[in-house]
Amino acid sequence: MRIGIDVGGTHTDAVLLSGDSVVETCKVLTSADVMSGIVEALTRLQEKSALASSAESVMIGTTQFTNAVIERRSLRPVAAIRLGSPSGRGLPPFVGWPEDIAKVISGTVFELDGGYLYDGSELAPLNNAQLDKVVDELGRLNIEAVAITSAFSPMNAGPELHVDARIRQALPQCRTTMSHEIGRVGLLERENAAILNASLLHFSDHVIDGIENALASVRLTCPVFISQNDGTLMDVSFARRFPALTFASGPTNSLRGAAKLTGLDEAIVIDIGGTTTDIGVLRGGFPRESNLVVEVGGVRTNFRMPDILALGLGGGSLVGNNGRSVGPTSVGHELVSQALVFGGSVLTASDIAVAAGHASMGNISWVKKLKSELVSNSTDTIGKMLAAGIQKMNPGKTSLPVVLVGGGAAIAPSTLDAAIEIVRPEHCDVANAIGAAIAQVGGEAERFVSYNEISRETAIEQVCADAAGKAVAAGANPDSIRVNDIEEVAIPYMDNGATRVRVKVIGEVAVLNTHATTAAIR
Amino acid sequence: MKLQDQHIQDLASGAAFLATGGGGDPYLSLLCAQQSIKQYDSVELVSIDTLADDAVIVAVGSVGAPTTSLELLPSIDEPLLAIRAFEHHTGLSIDAVVSFEIGGGNSLIPIIAAAAAGIPVIDGDGMGRALPEVQMMTYSIAGISPTPSIAVDYAGDTIAFDGISVLEYEQQIREFSMARGGMVTTVEFGMSAKELRQCIVADTVSLAIAIGEVLRLERGNALQLINKLQHVFEPTSYGQLMVLFSGMVTDVATSVIGGYDIGHALLRADDNAEQQVRVDIKNEYLTVWKGNRLLASVPDLITFVDTETGQPINSERLSFGQRVTIIGIACPPHFRTAVALAVVGPKCFGFDFDFTPIEKLIGADQTDSSRI
Repeated sequence: MRIGIDVGGTHTDAVLLSGDSVVETCKVLTSADVMSGIVEALTRLQEKSALASSAESVMIGTTQFTNAVIERRSLRPVAAIRLGSPSGRGLPPFVGWPEDIAKVISGTVFELDGGYLYDGSELAPLNNAQLDKVVDELGRLNIEAVAITSAFSPMNAGPELHVDARIRQALPQCRTTMSHEIGRVGLLERENAAILNASLLHFSDHVIDGIENALASVRLTCPVFISQNDGTLMDVSFARRFPALTFASGPTNSLRGAAKLTGLDEAIVIDIGGTTTDIGVLRGGFPRESNLVVEVGGVRTNFRMPDILALGLGGGSLVGNNGRSVGPTSVGHELVSQALVFGGSVLTASDIAVAAGHASMGNISWVKKLKSELVSNSTDTIGKMLAAGIQKMNPGKTSLPVVLVGGGAAIAPSTLDAAIEIVRPEHCDVANAIGAAIAQVGGEAERFVSYNEISRETAIEQVCADAAGKAVAAGANPDSIRVNDIEEVAIPYMDNGATRVRVKVIGEVAVLNTHATTAAIR
Repeated sequence: MKLQDQHIQDLASGAAFLATGGGGDPYLSLLCAQQSIKQYDSVELVSIDTLADDAVIVAVGSVGAPTTSLELLPSIDEPLLAIRAFEHHTGLSIDAVVSFEIGGGNSLIPIIAAAAAGIPVIDGDGMGRALPEVQMMTYSIAGISPTPSIAVDYAGDTIAFDGISVLEYEQQIREFSMARGGMVTTVEFGMSAKELRQCIVADTVSLAIAIGEVLRLERGNALQLINKLQHVFEPTSYGQLMVLFSGMVTDVATSVIGGYDIGHALLRADDNAEQQVRVDIKNEYLTVWKGNRLLASVPDLITFVDTETGQPINSERLSFGQRVTIIGIACPPHFRTAVALAVVGPKCFGFDFDFTPIEKLIGADQTDSSRI
């Protein structure tokens, strides 16, 4: 038995899963404090099924941290320490950030000697006198959050670990994020990720406390896990330290949920919500990731993110021009008061779906007077928008099936194109929560190696072991870990077999030894 | 023309298009250029024709492995340190700077130097694209020596190279770069405006800015974007843009051979899974093959763009599953002379065939289904 919860902008969904099958689902409105919505969803689930109280684990997907960054709220100032001098003169931490978020987060900046070069030699030796000054300054400024980034730390994290230990010893109240724990090669993007994460640490405690309190108040004592942006899970103590790893977990969960509900490994997934539609692609049962550098709230990062096309189309989208325009404006969570079927005065995509007989909600008699031309025009417009989106995500004529999920899925017409197979699985309205419930635990590691100094097999083995270590630290059962992806990148111009090896592993949640793995995490 | 922030952003994007897969991600160079302009002043972009014959010009840029700069960050004062060290070493006073290659991050290094030194940057470069070696620049092909030259490493330490052949210099500067973290900034090719006028690939900075502007304003489906780009290329000495292929990357196999990233990519057509093309890579995209048929080869330009967004994709970022469109462009005539082809033709990259212009390779295939 496991429970999956999706805390969305409009709805909080919860599902109870027994092995592979869905036992119960429920949908409640997201509360302003988020946590009472979770309590309500869990209470409903417990009312529907006595089995809910005996769940072995709870998996939660949340957009709280992404929204905090986008809306520039609940963020704390961060001291950014970079070990890479004398390189990078004139490109200090926070370079290239949008001014509004830099103003909120930029505490103070330290550029110190340290770090490594591509060939494993020191860029500059660590300077303890510099470090002493930094510690004094941090104490004087009473800074709570620190991000530590060292050149080539994915290859050699020594300098980051040294500085981290020194700060934590001298200033126990300081919370730190080391860049090698959160990002991959690409110093600026990794540093940005570490800074965003450090800035969210305080809020993370608040959110995780809330989740734990919500569970306690409904007497659920099982382990709790949080969804990451790659479709895998982390346990709550890890999530407290790495809230930034939840960015983009929403679309990921809907894609994974769609895979689970349909059994399809290769498909296009359309997740229609109240205001927006996310179109993504499943490859091998996992979301296809974006090729491009991902910006979060305007800040350049190198997080693993699914490749998502967002359309301004949802159940609450306004219909105009006799059905020739739908969206992007939406009544959002006001749907239940403003849509015609709910006695309101706004013509929405949901009203069209009810009039066309695709959905049943509210009172159908309120939309009986709608002209059939208006209804067919609107359905047509929605179909064209979705078909164009599908074409963008999958140009050409490969015949991938299309899976429709999300609370607004009913607004999609019954056919899009004769060539496209549409799948509307049962429970598609709570696909996100199901995606959260079935997620696994992942780990990723990356190293620069030279195949002249170490054999390719040994190198890949070592990186796999690093990745497995990270997955176990994040709550995976060590026996269930399998390698999901190996990527090798040669470094142009280097004549020494230099290669970047990146490995991603995935494992089952170690429910039984959660306490042991949690204890292993600092 | 005074180069403002938007110009520089567009230049970075247009330079990635002209880089034909090589040249490295221009993002870090762009940041340095933006910071330099903030710290000093905007830079004047001038035509070579506005300079007196005896004006002293140097080419400035980076030499090394672009991937290592992802961690070993460049510094905004490196180009100025190189300029001052060159002046000290040679006794010359530099009047203007020009770039090695318009493709990739090296298009922006002269702007960083020009901002700090308060001198203009010349509209043009030594390639009209990106290519890996010093002897492949039009400056070398015209007989101008890259030395005396100066290289500056990440710590700001400098070294001078004097009186060696072009090929010896290429070998030594690469060894120095590898010994000093994998990337150095160099000032080379001290020359007069009169000399440069004979061999510059003119107006490529403005061209890259115009390309970048189209990529920004018309961001979207690659096939639609190409018509817009065609207008930008029309007045230049480059040929017509041709869509060579549109499909998905099914394999990228590259490894380091002889100091380069060498290998190939395979792609499968969107509209016909049986139809495959193979692209040979040596840092840049060198050839496009459909079966045994050659569709394009170096020094003509072969550029990959993301099919959905039209944004260029560097070879080091190419990976399985990407949906890309391959665009071929006839290179300007300066690279099609016998003298130039002797250093930039297919045989210089290990192929056993001579160069055939893209318009001849494609001309016989006008009705091919992959051409649009």
